[in-house]
Amino acid sequence: MTPPTTGHAVSLRGLTKVFGGQTVVDALDLDVDSGEFFSLLGPSGCGKTTTLRMIAGFSDPTAGQVLVGGEDVTSTPPHRRDVNTVFQSYALFEHLDVRRNVGFGLRRKGIDKGEIDQRVGEMLELVELGDRVRDRPAQLSGGQRQRVALARALINRPKVLLLDEPLAALDLKLRHAMQAELKSIQREVGITFLFVTHDQDEALSMSDRVAIMNGGVIEQCGTPEDVYENPTSVFAAGFIGTSNLMPGVYASGTVAVTSDLRIPVPGHTTSVDGDQVSVAIRPEKIWMSDFTPAMVQTPGTIVSTSYHGATTQYLVSVGTGITLTVLEQNLPRMRADDRWNAGDRVEIGWLPEHAVVLR
Amino acid sequence: MAAEAPHAPPGVQRRRSSQHTRMWGYLLALPTVWMVTFFISSMVIVVLLSFGTTTRDGFPVFGTNSGNFSALWDEVYLRLFVRSLLYALATVALSVLIAYPVAYAIALHGGRYKNALIAAIVVPFFASYLIRMYAWKALLSDDGLLNSGLRKAGLGDGISFLNTPWAVIGGLVYGFVVFMILPVYASLERMDTSLIEAGNDLYHSPLRTFFTVTLPATRAGLYGGMLLVFLPALGDFVSAQLLGGSSTFMIGNLIQQQFVEGQNWPLGSAMTVAMMAALTVLMVVYLRATSTKAREL
Amino acid sequence: MARAKKLERKPLVAVVVTVLFFAWLYVPIFAVALFSFNDKKSLSAFSGFSTRWYVDFFHNEALLESLRASLLIALVSAVGSLVLGTMLAFGLERVRSRRGRVVGAITLLPLVTPEIVTGVAALLVFTGAGLKLGLDTVILAEITFSIAYVTVIVRGRLASFPLEVEEAARDLGCTPWQSLRLVTLPALVPALIASGLLVFALVFDDFVLAFFTTGVDPQPLPVRIYSSIRFGVSPAINAVGTLMLLVSALLIVAALMLPRLFKSRSSSLDLITGGERR
Repeated sequence: MTPPTTGHAVSLRGLTKVFGGQTVVDALDLDVDSGEFFSLLGPSGCGKTTTLRMIAGFSDPTAGQVLVGGEDVTSTPPHRRDVNTVFQSYALFEHLDVRRNVGFGLRRKGIDKGEIDQRVGEMLELVELGDRVRDRPAQLSGGQRQRVALARALINRPKVLLLDEPLAALDLKLRHAMQAELKSIQREVGITFLFVTHDQDEALSMSDRVAIMNGGVIEQCGTPEDVYENPTSVFAAGFIGTSNLMPGVYASGTVAVTSDLRIPVPGHTTSVDGDQVSVAIRPEKIWMSDFTPAMVQTPGTIVSTSYHGATTQYLVSVGTGITLTVLEQNLPRMRADDRWNAGDRVEIGWLPEHAVVLR
Repeated sequence: MAAEAPHAPPGVQRRRSSQHTRMWGYLLALPTVWMVTFFISSMVIVVLLSFGTTTRDGFPVFGTNSGNFSALWDEVYLRLFVRSLLYALATVALSVLIAYPVAYAIALHGGRYKNALIAAIVVPFFASYLIRMYAWKALLSDDGLLNSGLRKAGLGDGISFLNTPWAVIGGLVYGFVVFMILPVYASLERMDTSLIEAGNDLYHSPLRTFFTVTLPATRAGLYGGMLLVFLPALGDFVSAQLLGGSSTFMIGNLIQQQFVEGQNWPLGSAMTVAMMAALTVLMVVYLRATSTKAREL
Repeated sequence: MARAKKLERKPLVAVVVTVLFFAWLYVPIFAVALFSFNDKKSLSAFSGFSTRWYVDFFHNEALLESLRASLLIALVSAVGSLVLGTMLAFGLERVRSRRGRVVGAITLLPLVTPEIVTGVAALLVFTGAGLKLGLDTVILAEITFSIAYVTVIVRGRLASFPLEVEEAARDLGCTPWQSLRLVTLPALVPALIASGLLVFALVFDDFVLAFFTTGVDPQPLPVRIYSSIRFGVSPAINAVGTLMLLVSALLIVAALMLPRLFKSRSSSLDLITGGERR
């Protein structure tokens, strides 16, 4: 019952989709490991859903291959692929009760009734719907419908489960609860999840690895921490979280942003002097007090402040045309008059390794 | 993974989306063949036979003479054509006069009985047209309920309601007014009623409000309904047959006679073609006119 | 509630016309029903209650044969047009091509053609093809005419059916045909039953098409009634007519109620405004 822990659950080789002259997915190469929770993250229209549909078999690739469990399924129809999907709209069968919805796939495989009943029972326990067995989908709430859709797909123990923005229709509270639950279910069943979303929080909090897609290509692929801390492209840095992006010229271990402001980038080795690059610093990595000697410091002026409850956001001008966003935690020891006001002269600082060079 | 679906060898299946489209294409094929065989071809045969003749024994044969059409250019037939047209137009006019108040009352003041009231109109209309025509014949006949009621009240002795143009037109309205009520009702339902309130505030006259606000807003339903009433009314022969007499006959009666009694099928076909041609011309003109009007809105 | 108040100024004229209209609509029908229970032959003086005309009807072998013929025609036509109309609805909804639109327009043509034209044309094509006029020719003509109703109703329901549900079925192991059979068709059941009932009711008492395409024996019930009422009225016809009205009315009420029973969002009105016939 435990799927193999080595090898790739899904591999894409030069996968390409052209719609009416427009390249939606552009020569995609990707390997998703078995048992992994993998997210395709990107804005709408980036090709992530099209990629998912090609893996499921609903859409024919223009070029390239789809491999599931090492086997080429590029021209295999959806019903013969060992892949199941949780649809964004859930796509439940309204004329069948919960039990028959969940048992639908097993029945198609011709498994005997006793086993189907047993597995449906187990699966409904797993998603905590044991008491709604005889209900029609129309009688369920949004969150319950979502669980039925999940159970209906999971029960087939596919090599990979595709999830197409399954939480998008839920309200915020329920969405957070379901994120945690999805993750724990995935750990429990050990099936590979390929999760498509445009919500960076969702992708970061649930995934083992994240691929950031834009314009039909993967911009960056790595662990959530990796893609957040070390973005490798301007798009990745801007799409995940917010970043202070500053264009400048690379010169011997620093980037000259303005004539006054040279930002040291000690770890960076791939640029040569004179290269046009960008430097990115996350707003929460910038300090406005309690500096340590290792920090890079520069003076600035508060342009504006906005209060966000747990945090306060400042816009700080640090020279001609450069305004940085700084996010400060509203710590317990801080009082209202401890916060800065617009016009205040301040000192800001960050650790050198938090300045990331993007090319 | 004991319950895994067996995998077919890769590469043997065709791409499924094309396979899928082909499946829908097959579904389209049979009904298409059916409609072409029984509807399109039947229309073609009517046109072909309208140029035909009958043998001495009365059998229809195809031909290429236009004699049937020139035979139609005759005072008797022309008068009948004009009469049919007038009856159908009168039917449309009366239907409009009935449909607006009825649809208005139900749509805006029907409250929770709206659907029930509409159903109460729809159900008898879709149940036997023939029996409803018969009901009028029974009511209006010389020894029918209406006449006996009038006699009892001393209001007259044996008025002939049947065999009058108004009996025939009344029958047509009774038969087809639902096709006016439903579209007008639908467009009144869709209409923003605050417009009517605004109109009432502005003009202080329900009638002026109706003509400046309600009527333009429901134009689409009105135009559609007029067409839906006119088409079947022009081709009807049951009303004239049951409620009227030879002095109120319409094109439908004439065509029916050629096919059932007169047994001159080519002539009947020519009449049918002539009617369809007239209808097509009228419809094109009508659609042109109403669509420009609709655009002006 | 300013809005309700203003609309409460009921337009008296409209209400009066509506009341008169309902009277005009129902008085003749109720008169027919009433006098079908008259014990004398009169259609103007009700002298006593009797079911003799109904008893007569159920002993009149010719009329009963016509009734059976009409029921058979209605049943076969309903099934036939249901099959063809549903196929057409699927084809038109799923094949978005020029060819599909042309076919779609052709199917709707019978709805805007005066019925006498359809009837005459059907008569010519059947005799031209050497078919003997009889119940089968009536059925062929009625199916041709009824396909449009089924197509309009089923297509309306199909258009609101999410394609993702069909994909979900294929994802769970259905071939395209299986997903159609196991998922899409069950979702269409209310629309299918409703259009079947509607077609049955319309065909059952259709006169014009049957009149042109029927043979001599047995004649469909409306044709037989027509030939006897052309020259006069009689309580026996009242009895038959009352029965026919009742059967059709029940079927149509059932068709209208159906979407509601299945908790469908489509209103009963959509069912009718889609097409027109008499």
